[in-house]
Amino acid sequence: MNVQRFSYLATTLLVAFGAFASGAQSQSPTQSPTPSPSEGPTESDYLTRVRRLTFEGRRAGEGYFSPDGRIMVFQSERESGNPFYQIYELDMETGEGARISPGVGKTTCPFVRPGTGDVQYASTHLDPQSEELQRAELELRASGQERRYSWDYDPHMDIFVAPAGGGEPLRLTDAWGYDAEGSYSPDGEWIVFSSMRHAYDHELDPEDLARLEVNPSYFAEIYLMRADGSEQRRLTDAPGYDGGPFFFPDGSRIIWRRFDEEGLTANVYSMKPDGSDQRQLTDFGAMSWAPYVHPSGAYVFFASNKLGFGNFEIFIVDVEGTKEPVRVTFTDGFDGLPVPTPDGQQLAWTSTRHAGEGGQIYLGRWNHAAALAALEAAPPRVHNSTENPAHD
Amino acid sequence: MTSLPPKLPARLPVKLAVLALAVPAVLALLPTAAEASQESLRRHVTYLASDALDGRLTGTDGEARARDYLVAQLDELGVEPLPGAEGLVHPFEFTAGTKDAGSVLTLATDSTEEVFTGSETFQALSLSDNGSVTGEVVFAGYGLVLPESAEFGYDSYAGLDVEGKIVVALRYFPEAVDQETRAAFSRYSGLRFRALQARERGAKGLLLVTGPNSPNAGETIAMSFDSAIAGSGIIAASASGEVGDRLFSFVSGKTLAESQTALDDGNPHVAGFAIPGVRLTLDVRVERERRVGHNLVGVLPRNVAGEVDKPYVMIGAHYDHLGRGGGGNSLARKEEVGGIHHGADDNASGVAAVLEMVSGLAAMERRRDVIVALWSGEELGVLGSNAFVEEGTIAAADLAAYVNLDMVGRARDNKVALRAMGSSSIWPEVVERANVPVGLDLTEGEDPYLPTDTLTLNQAEVPSIDLFTGAHEDYHRPTDTADLINYEDLERIARFGTLVAANVINRDAAPDFLKVEPRTDSGGDRDSVRAFTGTIPDYTTEVEGLLLSGVIAGGPADEAGLQEGDVIVEFGGQKIANIYDYTYALDAVKIGEPVLVVLERDGERMEVTITPRARD
Repeated sequence: MNVQRFSYLATTLLVAFGAFASGAQSQSPTQSPTPSPSEGPTESDYLTRVRRLTFEGRRAGEGYFSPDGRIMVFQSERESGNPFYQIYELDMETGEGARISPGVGKTTCPFVRPGTGDVQYASTHLDPQSEELQRAELELRASGQERRYSWDYDPHMDIFVAPAGGGEPLRLTDAWGYDAEGSYSPDGEWIVFSSMRHAYDHELDPEDLARLEVNPSYFAEIYLMRADGSEQRRLTDAPGYDGGPFFFPDGSRIIWRRFDEEGLTANVYSMKPDGSDQRQLTDFGAMSWAPYVHPSGAYVFFASNKLGFGNFEIFIVDVEGTKEPVRVTFTDGFDGLPVPTPDGQQLAWTSTRHAGEGGQIYLGRWNHAAALAALEAAPPRVHNSTENPAHD
Repeated sequence: MTSLPPKLPARLPVKLAVLALAVPAVLALLPTAAEASQESLRRHVTYLASDALDGRLTGTDGEARARDYLVAQLDELGVEPLPGAEGLVHPFEFTAGTKDAGSVLTLATDSTEEVFTGSETFQALSLSDNGSVTGEVVFAGYGLVLPESAEFGYDSYAGLDVEGKIVVALRYFPEAVDQETRAAFSRYSGLRFRALQARERGAKGLLLVTGPNSPNAGETIAMSFDSAIAGSGIIAASASGEVGDRLFSFVSGKTLAESQTALDDGNPHVAGFAIPGVRLTLDVRVERERRVGHNLVGVLPRNVAGEVDKPYVMIGAHYDHLGRGGGGNSLARKEEVGGIHHGADDNASGVAAVLEMVSGLAAMERRRDVIVALWSGEELGVLGSNAFVEEGTIAAADLAAYVNLDMVGRARDNKVALRAMGSSSIWPEVVERANVPVGLDLTEGEDPYLPTDTLTLNQAEVPSIDLFTGAHEDYHRPTDTADLINYEDLERIARFGTLVAANVINRDAAPDFLKVEPRTDSGGDRDSVRAFTGTIPDYTTEVEGLLLSGVIAGGPADEAGLQEGDVIVEFGGQKIANIYDYTYALDAVKIGEPVLVVLERDGERMEVTITPRARD
């Protein structure tokens, strides 16, 4: 659920897509036999049998698996007549798939409810202007212009649930303002999500009003609610965009990422489900986001552009953030939104390595043992002054 | 047969054993099903690529033996003759070769007559009509016409009246022009294209001379393989430099060499001229050897009733190969020349995969009939598939889609190239679903203009998809043998192909057909690409530049030190982003003249010099 979680990156990302599609592809994918062992780690140390999973549509991403690993839900721009993301499921054994969102409006961030197979996602389909917006976007694209990809934090965005057996989506949130980026607790009883509702529930001072104009995600905070939408509560209260929350595999904590006030850098944090004990895991001084905990609970995947403004790569870091993160992808272009399969044996992520226009979901075998060994050997993290005081 | 799968470990870890008990029986059987399928594939490829089949050249006994085997296999799989056909065998006639049967050139003035014969002096072009024509003579420079779509204007016939006359022209194209200009000329310098231009302007005959400034100077043009059933509608031949010089003795103040030199800078304003006082008679005799090739085509009928849009889905692979490599497209090394070209990958692999696909589809629900096509004549220029489309037993308009497998036995690193995906909008969706359970590392290519039967079906506007595991160093050599096939991945490719076909077979609506615009004009033919570098491009990997999967031993690239894994990024000053750029750049080089090549190896930029040779 993460392309959404970072609007500023949106422009960055597009630049990255473009740059790598056109030029800097000369460094061949790391699976080619070029790098010699003396040159250090390579992608194939961690990921093998890498292959593209999605082909249909302009772009696809944010693939998340049902607890048994059988179903992947994801977002893709593949609906005829709708240029925006809709939510789809894909049966990982048969390849059968179907759309599970209404087909109208914008959607994002699906997640399968453990135990029931319901799928929560965020959608704007109740906005009566949806079809008009779709037409306008299609016309813009037909005219040959490419709107720079940007997530607009549509205040119509609310969280819905598609029942496992089909039927009308159930609305879980109705606060004015962006509600999205939801994911379930391992027991299926809770949803943690990101919301900008508090930008609209009181009178903003002139400074905040200006912020809402140019940088609305500044107001995004992490919220928690029950799976039926009740008991909605706020967990974070820091300036800057808090988003992309997921529970740890044992449900004991929540991992998410927090942007600084200007939205220029981001870091990965974890906290208890009541919002206490907030700890910072990364400190690259870059955009480190899209965290997801490996099913073993031993480490966290995340993406960062530490190595170059447009070059996102996937890293892993121990759950305490005590070690220097370890880089695990080594291919030019965008690599991000890492999500392991529930058995921990494979990794799905979004990449532009095919040099296409937009990202698509890739899947590879994940070498858990190599990941543990690399983290074990990693040097301790160097703390710097930006460390969150909450950690100390 | 043993009762246990051979790969099962003696002691299963407890957890795994429990798991194994818990899974449904059908899943437990899966590994053995895949292994059985691999065994079938190995059996088919091993037989088809065996010495006994002598390289399966179209129209030979080797083809007949392959045919007998495959007809028996198709019968066993339940493939039936097409409606109205007597059996699975669909014969087609083709020209297996051409030779000159005693052509004679007569040069006459009012008072004299000289006769030229012998293939080194006067020889028919393979494409010529048979007959005798006499006429006055016009020298039309290089006899080239660039269409309006070309980069610049050039018309050798501008201001010339050739109606009812014999056109004399130089072979090839201006020799002293820059590379870009060469590339443009090269595209329109094919013999057929030139013959057509002369014919369209009313010329009675075309006589080509290889000028003294060109490679193969003064030589007649070898009679190449030409598969056309009939001639080109004009009498056309080539003559030696000696004949050319004799003709130019009637031109005052200019020799042939001077005339060529005047043309060689590509100046479009250097005009041709009539050669006065002489008449030529071209008496041309081309003997075409006619043979019969045999496509094997049948139907696996649907087993689910109901209305569908377009009743058929076709799956196919060519089963012919190069025999002993005499046809001109062998890449045999010196010591291998004349050996049996086994064609295990090309294309026993595709045929075996199609048989496995039929076997798989036979066990599935099918809302459309499956047309199974094993083509012959592919190596001679997709003759079999063309003949079948023309034969019309099945109208192309009734085919919902075509799935082609040509060279699918050499998968490396799980990679498979999908080609022709631009021919329909459905392919990304179909491919995504089919590959989820199979897990191949697929690369997509849009272009349907491929040197395989996909070309034929695409031209008949059938949405097509083509599976390919890439060229390799045994390509078109006797060393393309059954032991080098990757049967494990071949089985997965067959499974993927089965799921792709099944998806289209069971869709309500037939796929749309999208016309992909050809990337290059078709004025050139094999004669126009003269340069040979001996590089083997890797078609399965998308990188910026041209990735080499190998080089032909002893070829110019080999001699220059190029090797597998090198990425050519610049060739003769032209940036190379893809295979098309490379082909284009190749058009523009001069035989024997060193070309600077920039390549990347292990991330390092290197410069080498390649000296292209003439292609035979």
